[in-house]
Amino acid sequence: MPRRISSKGNHASGINRREWLGMLGVGSTMALAGCLGGDDDDDDGDGDDDGEDAPEAGADEPDPLDLSQDPPEVSGEYHATQASSFDTINPIYNTEAGAGTAIGYALDQGYTFDFDNEVVPLLFEDIYTEDEGETWVIEFRDNLEFSDPYGQYTAEDYVYYVQEIHQSDTFPSANSPDWAGVEIEQTGELEAVATPPNPNIIWPETFAPLEYPIPKELLEPYVDAEDSEGLQQDEELLDLSFNGNLGPYNLEEWIRDGGTQYSRNDEYYLRDLADEYPMFGEAPYFETAQIEIIEEESSRIAAIETGETDNVPLPPDRGEQFIEDEDTMVVLEPTPFNTILSVNMRDNGWTAGPGNLFRVKEFRQALAAAIDKFEYIEGIANGFADPHYTWQPEFSEWFPGTDDLTLWGNPEEGVYGEEARDLVEEALDQIDEDYSYDGDVLVGPDDNQVELEIYYNAASDTQELAVDFYNNQLEQNIGITLDTNAIDGTTFSENYWSADPEGGTDTIDGEEVEWDAPTPNNPGPRSVTPDEEWDMATIFGLNTYPRNPLTNDVFFEGPNSSYNPVGYYPEFDAEGIIQNMRNAGTRDELRDAAAELFANLNEEQPYIMISFGDDIEAYNPAVRGPVPEFSNGWDFPAWHKDE
Amino acid sequence: MGLARYVAARTIWAALVSFIIVTVTFLLLALAPNPSISQAATQAALEGGDPATAVEQQEQLRGLDQPLYVRYMDFVQGVYTLEWGWSQNRAQPVTEALWQGIYYTAQYSIPWTILTLIIGPLVGLYSAANMYSWKDHLATGFAFFGWAIPNFFFGIILLVIFGVWLQWFPIQYDTSVPVFSLANAHQLFLPVFVLVTGSIGAVMRVSRNESAEFQNADFMKTAKAKGVSPTRAYAYHVMRPTMVPLSTTIVSQLLVIFLGSSLLIEIVFGIPGLGRVTFDALINQDTNLVLGATLLFTFIAVIGNLIEDLVFTIMDPRISFDDR
Repeated sequence: MPRRISSKGNHASGINRREWLGMLGVGSTMALAGCLGGDDDDDDGDGDDDGEDAPEAGADEPDPLDLSQDPPEVSGEYHATQASSFDTINPIYNTEAGAGTAIGYALDQGYTFDFDNEVVPLLFEDIYTEDEGETWVIEFRDNLEFSDPYGQYTAEDYVYYVQEIHQSDTFPSANSPDWAGVEIEQTGELEAVATPPNPNIIWPETFAPLEYPIPKELLEPYVDAEDSEGLQQDEELLDLSFNGNLGPYNLEEWIRDGGTQYSRNDEYYLRDLADEYPMFGEAPYFETAQIEIIEEESSRIAAIETGETDNVPLPPDRGEQFIEDEDTMVVLEPTPFNTILSVNMRDNGWTAGPGNLFRVKEFRQALAAAIDKFEYIEGIANGFADPHYTWQPEFSEWFPGTDDLTLWGNPEEGVYGEEARDLVEEALDQIDEDYSYDGDVLVGPDDNQVELEIYYNAASDTQELAVDFYNNQLEQNIGITLDTNAIDGTTFSENYWSADPEGGTDTIDGEEVEWDAPTPNNPGPRSVTPDEEWDMATIFGLNTYPRNPLTNDVFFEGPNSSYNPVGYYPEFDAEGIIQNMRNAGTRDELRDAAAELFANLNEEQPYIMISFGDDIEAYNPAVRGPVPEFSNGWDFPAWHKDE
Repeated sequence: MGLARYVAARTIWAALVSFIIVTVTFLLLALAPNPSISQAATQAALEGGDPATAVEQQEQLRGLDQPLYVRYMDFVQGVYTLEWGWSQNRAQPVTEALWQGIYYTAQYSIPWTILTLIIGPLVGLYSAANMYSWKDHLATGFAFFGWAIPNFFFGIILLVIFGVWLQWFPIQYDTSVPVFSLANAHQLFLPVFVLVTGSIGAVMRVSRNESAEFQNADFMKTAKAKGVSPTRAYAYHVMRPTMVPLSTTIVSQLLVIFLGSSLLIEIVFGIPGLGRVTFDALINQDTNLVLGATLLFTFIAVIGNLIEDLVFTIMDPRISFDDR
């Protein structure tokens, strides 16, 4: 059946920093680790019945913009504040979410996603497949112009950029992995056809086709001279002066460590859609825009308190204060990053004695069942989080619904408390080592209580509170204690979470499995370990890829998947299920396969899943546009202020 | 040794010291693991790419794919040809990055230095002239307060009181404001105030103690006996000899505060100055920029010491270079 994502649906523009987060993986995850907030927003947009209510945080829930309305007046400035400066805003080399936002003010990409997670074409007129994802046709709008002297943005620019930069060995770019094995050819002035290495009915959701428009003439001299260094340092790529009518704002200045300043782009191409969506008729609606870098948290917060900025991200412990403040609008944006408790199943895990109980599914279930997720959300995440049962947030189209999931750590409707102890007893029956209960205490062969080492990020107050909470819960429900250790995130990543790839083989369920492509985050079988031993950690949260669940193959496609620092060996046919997901010809088929995967992950708890937090964004209440949605910001060019 | 030969010898020595310092810095950076490399590998793994290729690409991007001695030779050549390379974490030439940092740092550090040099000795002199009076205790208390309270903390407190509650001063540093404008003076008032209070304490105390020694010296008694006015007596006969030992305190202290406090002040007040340039470069292992900044600070320290030594002879003609 032809699958067509048409430009005749909703339209809008704007960089969505989620898209960047979606692409970034651990880079963002590291930054977010330990500071995940949460959300009471139950509107997941997927029509599923969530089954329970998260604590009510009471944030503002402004209505989305009605794009059929007449254009508002152009006035003033939109002033956003970020905590971190940018390494580069060269669109070819940027890998940071913050810089992605800064680039996105001046350059649109091919498409974005609306609040229903539907593709909204931007520079693309259309992107569609008619052969169940084997090939994808990309059609470009005919009103796209670079600045002089580069002329119109066409399929030729797009294809040249992909072939000569991303698919070239000379120019290592951020998006090179996305284009490995993809065949792309220009089939018309405004049309290109891409053939992914494997058929993929949700290729747009992989973000691979998303490219900033770069003029072929700008790239050619560097390509001809094979000058990678020159391309990194090109002035036009660093000041985005070639942007023409391709973004809502023109970059005026990038002050390193200071931020970026923009002026309104009077020629913005999306205005041509005014017949369909009047609100884009005069877009954008701020005379100027600015992203300011303020590293110090208290200074950032002071800036929103005094009205000097229009947007600041808040830490969880300050969210409630600003929700109650009428001069501030707080919007809770769900994120795809989870809060997890990682348990080390490798040979250097479980330092409490012989064996490794983390390898037993029932023991991991017990850990999940022993921690009251709602108490965590209320007490540690200040109410700004949702419970996390399987490897998708509930707002995801691919979330299987709670009916088929075991609600670990849910005292009301799931498995919690004494049942956790029962699960530990089941786990003990499956091991040879002499662990047992002495009253309420789990003791090892040496008759001492089992004490495990848990590591948390020294820079995170939230994680510090969390490990104490976990300790209390685990001692109360399954009789083990935790020795808490603060550690620097980078040190943990280097010495505990990754190792030199060695490869090797292991026999799993009677089958020999080979690690033929080991990585630092899955260096080999469980016998291959990082330098330092560890039991549990809260340092990293991970991306669950809610738009493109296939990307989760990096975590779970067998024991030798590319990212498996904890040494998890799936006890279900993960490879088969993921292959079914790849082979899906329709979204329904994909949804069925994904549901099977996520139901199994819910059972196996490869990482002990705790919660999904939210970004807590404080806005000037006069700003119209922000909404508590995953796709918040997709219609940014229509944002304006009610003065 | 004449002045010219002395300056020449000191300059050569400074060049040698700088070279040793940056070489050690280069080696330390080369030996430390680079987090951006491992992050690239992790990211590639998460995206289903090849981590080994990602590492190679990242090393190529950062010029780390060359042998260490080649990188070192390139670096040494760059130092002497003033081509300090490209800052990977700011996407601009190192010289431009440093210049940009200096541009913003100078806007508060110049008034800070001038005010410290004026207020510190004057308050010390005033205290000495009114020793053990309530005025002396007040001045001493003020000096100790400024010295004791951490600049970082003091800056935040002032921001909360005068920025958030009273809203007399802006919270954010606006880079678009002209350098010589009231708006710039307005937004820089708090950072300069914090830095001045932090630095005049030591200057004031040294100045007070030295002044106390000279105000009862024979030449002061003579001056007073001849009817010289107190202002002239203190300005010419006490202040001048006091400044000789004081200059040592001032130079060393300003250098220390420049490197330490200015970073914290820049973070609190959001000023994109030299402190943040250097700190971010260190955190991100931006080798070229770290080495450029090291060279710059070494240069400042060496020149500062040289100026200090030269000033000795102007303030106290009894000191000559012949003995050195």
